[in-house]
Amino acid sequence: MKNSERSSETYLITRWQQFCAGDKSAFGELTELNYAVLYHYGTRFTPDRDLIKDCLQDLFLEIWEKRETLSYIAAIKPYLFQSLRNNLIRRIRRQSVFSDIRDDDVEDDISPESDWIVQETDQLTSHRLKQAIDALPKRQKEALYLKYYENLSYEEIATVMGLQRQAVANYLQYGIQKLREYWQHAAIFLALCSEISRY
Amino acid sequence: MNNYSHFQVKDWLDDAAFQRWVYHGEQDGFWIEFVQNNPGQLSNIEQAREILLAVRGELDALPDSEVKLRVSEILNAIPDEKLRALPWWKSNWLKMAAMLLLASGIVTALFREKESLHSLQTFVAGLRDADNADQLEVYNETHAIQLVNLPDGSSVILKKHARISYPAAFAADRRQVTLRGEAFFEVVKNPDQPFFVYAGSMVTKVKGTSFSIKANDEDDNVELVVKTGLVEVSASKDGGKSEISAGKKLILKPNEQVTFNRKSQNMVTKTVQKPILLNLPAESQNFEFRRTPLAEVFAELEKIYGIRIQFDAKTIAHCTLTAKLGDEPVHEKLDLICAVVNARYETHGSSTVVVASEGCE
Repeated sequence: MKNSERSSETYLITRWQQFCAGDKSAFGELTELNYAVLYHYGTRFTPDRDLIKDCLQDLFLEIWEKRETLSYIAAIKPYLFQSLRNNLIRRIRRQSVFSDIRDDDVEDDISPESDWIVQETDQLTSHRLKQAIDALPKRQKEALYLKYYENLSYEEIATVMGLQRQAVANYLQYGIQKLREYWQHAAIFLALCSEISRY
Repeated sequence: MNNYSHFQVKDWLDDAAFQRWVYHGEQDGFWIEFVQNNPGQLSNIEQAREILLAVRGELDALPDSEVKLRVSEILNAIPDEKLRALPWWKSNWLKMAAMLLLASGIVTALFREKESLHSLQTFVAGLRDADNADQLEVYNETHAIQLVNLPDGSSVILKKHARISYPAAFAADRRQVTLRGEAFFEVVKNPDQPFFVYAGSMVTKVKGTSFSIKANDEDDNVELVVKTGLVEVSASKDGGKSEISAGKKLILKPNEQVTFNRKSQNMVTKTVQKPILLNLPAESQNFEFRRTPLAEVFAELEKIYGIRIQFDAKTIAHCTLTAKLGDEPVHEKLDLICAVVNARYETHGSSTVVVASEGCE
């Protein structure tokens, strides 16, 4: 597993260099390989799917235009995540000026429609966990997502989110702690319920 | 084989293989068996799994087919490098055909009699004159919007990746431009010299109005919506400069929108609440000002036309504007404003305006 990961990374870097040299098929492949992960990351910021797709198109066209200046980039995924994040936040801010949404909404709250929703299995636990994750500050949720789902390192998360490494470490530690507390509450509650129903 | 039996929740969360199972279902068989054989770890695993799923949240279904579609859209939206440079032999099929014809003509002529070389030279010179030697093209490659001032003073706001070509001087009886992409027009009124826009095999004829056109190469349709005045649209025979075909012709009024299909040349009209097609500020601004500080008026114009207006904030601090400007091009608007507030203006390049005022004490 480790090996194949590393070799695919070497492959990606080769393709990236080819893209920087103007290879359109390498560009197409990199776009296709990264589109879905970037799209899902975008859903963390806004329920507006069209906006995300717009931003992604702008992002890729922009990197195509400045491809010659991008050959120094070694960490491709964090670079793309960071670019998308900046574009999206800028566009959401601009929109919110027009639609009279408070500016802070963008930074501090994820709208209720967006996607920190936990699915299935034990409904009650899931429900409690959903509340728990919803209760976390937005940036903690984002750091957790990047760490666990996207497997980025502390340094990479720091780059993407424009934070110090230590801040990332704190976010992650605090976030996990909160989630575990909620989970334990839920587990105790469940155990109580089953005790009660036994009598 | 491993030390999984001593794992705590935190260890599970950080275990890459475990993550891949939870998120991507990898090695499902192994993990199901592991859970069965290690009942002591069940609660830790359950907890870690729940937490990982909560962290991910719900994901949209995004089928590969959609990703492929989006990627091809992106690839198609890459501006054609060749068009940017416009090498002579790629600029136009007609021209190329003419060149071939000419070349074969030269060969035949040379073959026949050598003295004809002189007459050929005159012929070539004549051809060059006819071939719109002074055609200009503006391509908005980088800016969100870019203002183009046409030779007659009309304004065109090009959106990104739009291009317009027009002659350095318009013919006496007609003003003719070619558009690709999305743009908003404010045309100087001149009934004697109608204004024609050729966009994706649709011809738009106006005498002096404002309207938006969306004519992207990759779209099957060309769209137009009228903000003010009257607009006449029809199909052009060959997408070129030929006369408007006698057939389909439509007159559109303000807030009417037409969708023109390039292939079938069908036109569908509808009435819209607001003449907004391109989401440009110019489309929705009605240019009504009531005791508005001049600096604000200028800021508004800067935003709408993507230009820079330089002025001395101190001298115009007391100037306000009460006026209802309409669909005039930017220069006519500036003329009107400057007349009211006792100022003069100069343009520097296509996008900078310098206003000099004596103030309004």
